[in-house]
Amino acid sequence: MNTNSDRRSHTAPIIEINDLTVRYGDKPALNGISFDVYKNEILGIIGPAQSGKTTLLKVINRTLEFTAGTTVEGSVKLDGVDVNTVGDVYGLRRKIGMVLPLPVGLPLSIYDNVAFAPRTAGVRAKSELDEIVERCLQQAALWDEVKDRLNTLGTKLSGGQQQRLTIARALSHQPEILCLDEFSIAVDPITTMRIEDVLKELRAEMTILLVTNLVQQAKRLANRTAFMLNGDLVEIDTTDVIFSDSPGSQATYDYVNGTFG
Amino acid sequence: MSRPNPKQKFALQSIALLTLGVVSVLVWNVLKKTYLSDVQVLSVARVSDPLPNLFGDIYFFLSISFLGVLLGITCAFYLEEWLPETNWVRCLIEGQVSILSGVPSLLYGLLVVTVFLPYSGAFQRTQGFPPAGDLNTASLQVSSFQGDTTLFYIAVLTFVLLVVPRVIKATQEALRSVPIPIRESAYALGANRWQVLTKHVVPLSLPRVVAGACRAMSCALAVSALFIGIYISGYTIQPGQMSGRFALFLGAALLLSIFSSFLSQRYPLASTRHI
Ligand SMILES: Nc1ncnc2c1ncn2[C@@H]1O[C@H](COP(=O)(O)OP(=O)(O)O)[C@@H](O)[C@H]1O
Ligand SMILES: [Mg+2]
Repeated sequence: MNTNSDRRSHTAPIIEINDLTVRYGDKPALNGISFDVYKNEILGIIGPAQSGKTTLLKVINRTLEFTAGTTVEGSVKLDGVDVNTVGDVYGLRRKIGMVLPLPVGLPLSIYDNVAFAPRTAGVRAKSELDEIVERCLQQAALWDEVKDRLNTLGTKLSGGQQQRLTIARALSHQPEILCLDEFSIAVDPITTMRIEDVLKELRAEMTILLVTNLVQQAKRLANRTAFMLNGDLVEIDTTDVIFSDSPGSQATYDYVNGTFG
Repeated sequence: MSRPNPKQKFALQSIALLTLGVVSVLVWNVLKKTYLSDVQVLSVARVSDPLPNLFGDIYFFLSISFLGVLLGITCAFYLEEWLPETNWVRCLIEGQVSILSGVPSLLYGLLVVTVFLPYSGAFQRTQGFPPAGDLNTASLQVSSFQGDTTLFYIAVLTFVLLVVPRVIKATQEALRSVPIPIRESAYALGANRWQVLTKHVVPLSLPRVVAGACRAMSCALAVSALFIGIYISGYTIQPGQMSGRFALFLGAALLLSIFSSFLSQRYPLASTRHI
């Protein structure tokens, strides 16, 4: 294991994961993994299906607790506070923007989709909401396409537009961390490239956890990349090292070069 | 799953209190009339003037159904949204509900006629078999036997057994049909349980809840209509006296079931997409 040849260790970690073990019933999904995420980096997380990537994201924003029968051991700290004992779980979730693999349009208009999170957080003023909606849709590169029909249902948009809408929505509560779970799975290549450009710009403002099924996407975007396999963190290192001819583990080399997965 | 916070508890309790209040007003109204008027006089009155009774019955029927539906929906929301799946109260109620809602509605009508009415002594008190139109399900009994509170309780009991389980089952199924990713996305945006419920779960499941309630009421109306129909052909002193009531109940049952099918067709199960 080669977990700590990290060039940013001078900045404080924003997420610290320590010996995290997760089980669904008796079935282990994560086997005691530990790593840190640093401020304003894009951390790519790659690995074949079923390796626990989605589970990891759900632990961080505590949506795993909606699945019955799960046990979580170890600690996940966000800004130094353990997420499992945090007092205000709603406030915690607002610090994290989450984009799921398939776009989930809330049954609301485009405007209300983006305004939902600010409203739940107590923003009432119309002008303020207008401003948030415009900013987020601009950031997600969707504003120009929908600015004339903000009141149509979000689910009426095309798949790629809906995924950008979910990104706008994930940005609407000004998160510190943006988590994307295989966002490109239902999106055409051109939209994927547009979203990747969006992410490059967002890097200056927030930390991004990019779970991806496209190995090359991690190579294009990530500062560091983690490779997960069957609930284990095989390796986490700078993207250059992971994609070099001699990463820390043979399994990483094989996966990255398409021998399996 | 965490427990409801005080605000949500308060809202639930006020709903329960409100329901209780309406029930007690209704019971009080019936109790007030107890033994005030002579049964025979009333039944003569109804034969000579069926129209007011007709609407009296429908009014009674609707208010009881409405309460049953309200109770069923509240109960289902509580079970599905607040109690964890392993909670023993939830397991118990769900077990009972799945048994009761599977019993054909016709059997409830037979239960009333063959068990509830004879054992409550209703036939004895009215000297002989009841006047025209009263041998249908107990839902019709109160206005016909105006003075008798046992019959009121029979009606309520039948409704609890017939309507409430069906409503609970339909509502729970409607709530479960709300896609999990929608709930998870709303929670991930920092919404609390109450906001997720009122903004997403209720609007998405409402058509199916209403459809289920209509279906349950349609069952109750249909079985009432059937017994009215049997009674007309068998016992009525003046043939044709009850046909208006029969038509009304049957018509209402048909309308409700058509409306219910329309709703479930118009708002099909939201497709659940997981990865
Ligand atoms: N809701 C669930 N119930 C039971 N097991 C689950 C559930 N979700 C995921 N798992 C299991 O947890 C493991 C990790 O899954 P997941 O986190 O979805 O992996 P990935 O996102 O990398 O494909 C898998 O073995 C999977 O079968
Ligand atoms: Mg996944």
